[in-house]
Parts: sequence; C-alpha cells; structure tokens
Amino acid sequence: MASDPDAALMLAFQGGDASAFRVLFERYGRPMVAFCHHFVRDGARAEELAQEVFLKLYASSARYQPTARFKTFLYRIASNHCLNELRRGEYASRRAADPDADADGAPLDPDALAGGGASPEESALGAALSREVQALLARLPEKQRAAFVLARLEGLPYEEVAEVLQTSVSAVKSLVHRATVSAAAALAPYLAEREVTP
Amino acid sequence: MKHLADELTAFLDGALAPDERARVEAHLGACAACRAERERLEKAVALLGRLPEAPAPSPTFEARFQARLAAQRALPRRPRLLDLLAWRHLAPGLAGAALAASVLVYAGARHRADERSMAEHLDLLESYEAVASVGVVERADDVQVVAHLDELGEGRP
Repeated sequence: MASDPDAALMLAFQGGDASAFRVLFERYGRPMVAFCHHFVRDGARAEELAQEVFLKLYASSARYQPTARFKTFLYRIASNHCLNELRRGEYASRRAADPDADADGAPLDPDALAGGGASPEESALGAALSREVQALLARLPEKQRAAFVLARLEGLPYEEVAEVLQTSVSAVKSLVHRATVSAAAALAPYLAEREVTP
Repeated sequence: MKHLADELTAFLDGALAPDERARVEAHLGACAACRAERERLEKAVALLGRLPEAPAPSPTFEARFQARLAAQRALPRRPRLLDLLAWRHLAPGLAGAALAASVLVYAGARHRADERSMAEHLDLLESYEAVASVGVVERADDVQVVAHLDELGEGRP
C-alpha cells in the first residue's frame, strides 16, 4: 500500500519514529471516538474505548503489515474491541440501569454538533433521529450493527467493510440491507412526511 | 417474480457492478412493490444523513491517552502465549507433566475406570500441565490453543 500515507506513517513508527504515531493519533483520534460512540452511546466510555484502540495499535505495531489500507487495519481493531466490549455484557447492564445517560444530554463539546447554527426544528429532528438510531443499534445483532455503523454511518465502501469484518462482500450486502430495512422501520414516523433529498 | 433484497440496498449505495445494476434497474422498471421499497429505503438513508455528528472528544482526551500509553510502556512486556509454546519452553514442563501423568496412571491402576478415562485424555492432561506450569492459561482463547497443542508442529526437534 505504497500510496497510503497512513500506512507509510505506521511503517515509520515501526522504524522508531514516535512522531508518526502521534500524527496517526491526531488524524484518527476523533473519528475513533465517534466510531466507538455508535457502539456504547456514552461519551466518556467511547473515549476510553478509542484510547484502548490506540493502545492496541501501539502494542501491535511490530506485527503491522501494509497489505491493507491503514484505515482498514485500524477499524478492524476498533470493531473487534467494541464488539468485545458489548459481549462482555458488563456495559450493557450498566446502560440498562441508566438508558438515557447520554442519549439526549449535553454533548461533551456542544460546538461539535453538526450545524451549530441549525434551526430549532433541525436540532430537534437531529436529537430525535439520534435517539431512534441509538435504540436501533442496541437492537441489531452485533455483525449487522458493525456493518451498519461502518457502511452507513462511517461511509466505508462495502469492500472495506468486508475487509474490516473479515467476511465476504456478499455477506456485507446482506448485513447492510437487513440493518437498513430495520432502520427504515424504526424511522417510519419520520419518513411519511419527508421527501427524498436529492 | 422474485423481489429484490440485498441488491436493492447495494444499488442505493452504488455498490453494484454495472451488469448487476442494469438487472436491478430492469426489475425496478417492472415491479411496483420493489419501487416502493426502494423509495422507502432511499428516504431512510437520506434521513440517516441528517444525524448530528458524534460529540467531539473532551479537551483532556489526548493527555489521558498519553498517560495510559506511558503506563502501558512502563509495564514489563508480557510474553504472548504462542511465544511461550515454543518447544524449548515447553520441553521441561512436558517432561514433568508426562512423569506426573505416568505416576498418576500407575497409582490409579487399582481403579480401572479412572485409568481408562485418564489414558484417553493423557495428551490433553500433559498439555494442560505443561502450560499451567508457565502460568499462561488465563483466557478462553488460550484454552483453545492448549486444546490444539498437538497440532503445533513448529519448533519441535
């Protein structure tokens, strides 16, 4: 992957350049927090998980082979880590005790919300959509959830999702389709009154 | 006529090869139910695009990471299980475990049922004894590796 500048950074880090790792952290730290947030719906825990993803990346750097894009490698670590977190169940029970902990509370950084100057109607819609999608994600089987987050919310192409989840593209098509059908059902109250945005 | 399924979402995501795409377009032209489903999914996907961004990390995110990284680096490196399974590490343990297993088999000669059971699982017993002696069986993954120790050919003399 000579054309992947992030892979080059990772190789530089392997070669002893600590600043290369810092650049990767600066580049992917925030996206990783957002990615982990899709799984745990808790800002503080999402940060911890994202940090743990980078700790794993650091620890496994010697075994890194630039045979895939760095981003794919990183998302694979992150997906496995987040799914393991969910499997542990400890977090799920904590959430069950406090289901609205982060659903519509204040974000860690209010400026981070899309369209800081959005109309009240748009903000209300955004908050309602967040709640619906969070509830949907909690219901989806884990593979569907991961595929949906990667493809639909993170915008990765199906081929990359397949690499991250170490499955076939046709399996990804099926996972994303089933999750999207579930999303359409969950968002049905909002679909009836809206036209498709071109 | 079979309705569209997985390929409908892939169609919306632009993830189909040209020939598959042409086939889906032809089907949509002839199937009102699939057109309706396409419209429903398309609206849902458009709506998902209006989700607010996730919260940004807190200002201390990187500093806390650096602290955790420093703590991780300060820990002595814990050897990986497969490193420890190299023959040179396992040989003394296996020898001891084999001896212990032999003694156990001898002592259990008066209990034929136990003897039969132990003989059937002697290999596994040896493996567990050897690995336990180096203190690495902590997780389910490790137990899986142990259960397949006999498949590890690498490193044996």
